[in-house]
Amino acid sequence: MSNKKIPDSRGYFGEFGGKYVPETLWACLLELEGVYKEVSRQASFKKELKFYLSEYAGRPTPLYFAKNLSKHLGAKIYLKREDLLHTGAHKINNSLGQILLAKHMGKRRIIAETGAGQHGVSVATVSRLFGLNCEIYMGAEDVLRQKANVLRMRVLGAKVIPVCNGSKTLKDACSEAIRDWVTNVGDTYYLLGSTVGPHPYPYMVRDFQSVIGSEAKKQILKKEKKLPNYLVACVGGGSNSMGLFHPFFKEKSVKFIGVEAAGSGLNSFNSASLTKGEIGVLQGAKSFVLQDKFGQIKEAHSVAPGLDYPGVGPEHAFYKVTKRAEYVTVDDRQAIKGFKMLSQQEGIIPALEPSHAIYYLKELAKAAKNKIIIVCLSGRGDKDLDIVNQYIK
Amino acid sequence: MKISQKFKDLHKLGKKAFLAYVPFGFPTLDDSAKIILALQDCGVDIVELGVPFSDPLADGPIIQAAANKALAQGANTDKLFTMLNSLKGKLKIPLVIMTYYNPVLKYGMDKFFLKMKKAQVSGVMIVDLPVEESKAYIKKANRFNLETIFFVTPTTSFTRAKKIADHSKGFIYYISVTGITGPQKLDGDWLAASVKRIRKVTQLPICVGFGIHKKSQVKEISEFSDGVIIGSEIVKFIDENSCRKDLVKRLSKHIRSLCIK
Ligand SMILES: Cc1ncc(COP(=O)(O)O)c(C=O)c1O
Repeated sequence: MSNKKIPDSRGYFGEFGGKYVPETLWACLLELEGVYKEVSRQASFKKELKFYLSEYAGRPTPLYFAKNLSKHLGAKIYLKREDLLHTGAHKINNSLGQILLAKHMGKRRIIAETGAGQHGVSVATVSRLFGLNCEIYMGAEDVLRQKANVLRMRVLGAKVIPVCNGSKTLKDACSEAIRDWVTNVGDTYYLLGSTVGPHPYPYMVRDFQSVIGSEAKKQILKKEKKLPNYLVACVGGGSNSMGLFHPFFKEKSVKFIGVEAAGSGLNSFNSASLTKGEIGVLQGAKSFVLQDKFGQIKEAHSVAPGLDYPGVGPEHAFYKVTKRAEYVTVDDRQAIKGFKMLSQQEGIIPALEPSHAIYYLKELAKAAKNKIIIVCLSGRGDKDLDIVNQYIK
Repeated sequence: MKISQKFKDLHKLGKKAFLAYVPFGFPTLDDSAKIILALQDCGVDIVELGVPFSDPLADGPIIQAAANKALAQGANTDKLFTMLNSLKGKLKIPLVIMTYYNPVLKYGMDKFFLKMKKAQVSGVMIVDLPVEESKAYIKKANRFNLETIFFVTPTTSFTRAKKIADHSKGFIYYISVTGITGPQKLDGDWLAASVKRIRKVTQLPICVGFGIHKKSQVKEISEFSDGVIIGSEIVKFIDENSCRKDLVKRLSKHIRSLCIK
């Protein structure tokens, strides 16, 4: 296992991944893969990306020792502050990487799906930066839940297209974006926002997000002179978590914990694809999927729109079956508690997505007294004040 | 009946194939068998039966809505095979199942194919299963003597078209547009040239589908292809007439008006 390339040339992480797409998309996936392999190696590309990541987005982000929270819970907790990035979440790391590819490929039009609106905002942002047309598909339910981000996208000149199919959330937005891509594949670049979809997206997005883990590794070695015991991150499609985990893949002493959304409960509506799902093919890749016994995709639910998705990236499926990572769940109510806990302890308002990971620290700290834990604070919570307000009422 | 046999028969008569797509369980579960037999009666050569999937990536609004309606009424794979078994002895033309990969994967490919075989289904096409992911699928389909149809599109390269043809049985499904299902304006000359190009890599019949919604298109495309496939137009008609008692009769009349025979 350790010597094999992951993913392999067909885009498989073990038995997961692949390219399950309509024939129309085959050629452009092949082109994208070729361009990515070639361009991402070039020094000029690396330099340009690095420039924008630091000068425009604000990298490196701090690895902040959360003193109060650590004391409160009894472990050494570090927050990787992706919430401090421009646009307010880790999504910009990937969007900057991919927009440079799109520019290289000469595409004029950018499309994307968004759940929480964080990815949509980051795509609208980089599209403005490089003067490209931008259209964002967003579930109609999420358009209502994340109004602030809809407004931001509009100010940035993006067209936000509400999607009224299915559960009107992230999965449906993603399907609609793929249909657009199938129709306009010639001039359009699909800027997918997580480690999901057909090869090469899961590995390309993982690479662009790995800056999170690479920085964290250097920072913790400097601060603690040793590796952390645990890495904790929330898992929607899986990009912020994979970005944190991947650079530590070979460090066997470092345990990975992915936190999925249990929504209203594991036996009710949830988004815990790895915990409650079964192997299936959704939106281009084989992975774990929430589905019924006839293979119809189930409606997901989470209070965090960015986690509200019935699938998960294939590399996480691979980590699960090889036991490289452990996957746990946190429900809506607990996530709100996590949200409040971080706000009150540290004066940092987290997005509802990483609030799931924050809450889990409470459980983890019981068994991991005084251990070093890095948690990915993938985004800030301004966008979620409406939801939390309603929840408290 | 095998698809390949159907095309041989048509060829002898100097005729082109007319293929009709209908989704299973639409407008209601009870209508499917009646509709399929009506299609046969009004001269359809091959029935393409869609097995609804919750997330049909290559389908436009018309077929998406039909799939959702069918699923909401409880259409599922078990009921599909019950319905197909009820057609045994009555359906004389080939029937092909068109679906997405997940419902087949979840049901179990062996079980799915075995039931297809028992129900005398001729072939299968899976929209999101490119030939590169099809090794086990083709092997199993061959074992059950099912014909595997693959798609060629305007974005398919010449060398790739050859590869796809080498994996195909029955016919090649040429998707007329870079896009999803639903009515379209089509450029006949361009399509003719595309079909001609694919002929260089295969002896198999080539049928053209997606976007075709009127008789003039059927006529034009039948000149240079081996068959035309109509989907959304039929689904739309069924939807618009689904409340009428004489739905099947009306549908037959509509199909006859699209057919050139
Ligand atoms: C702040 C934040 N965290 C996490 C996620 C979940 O995505 P992923 O699992 O790809 O990191 C999102 C998605 O919108 C998000 O906005």
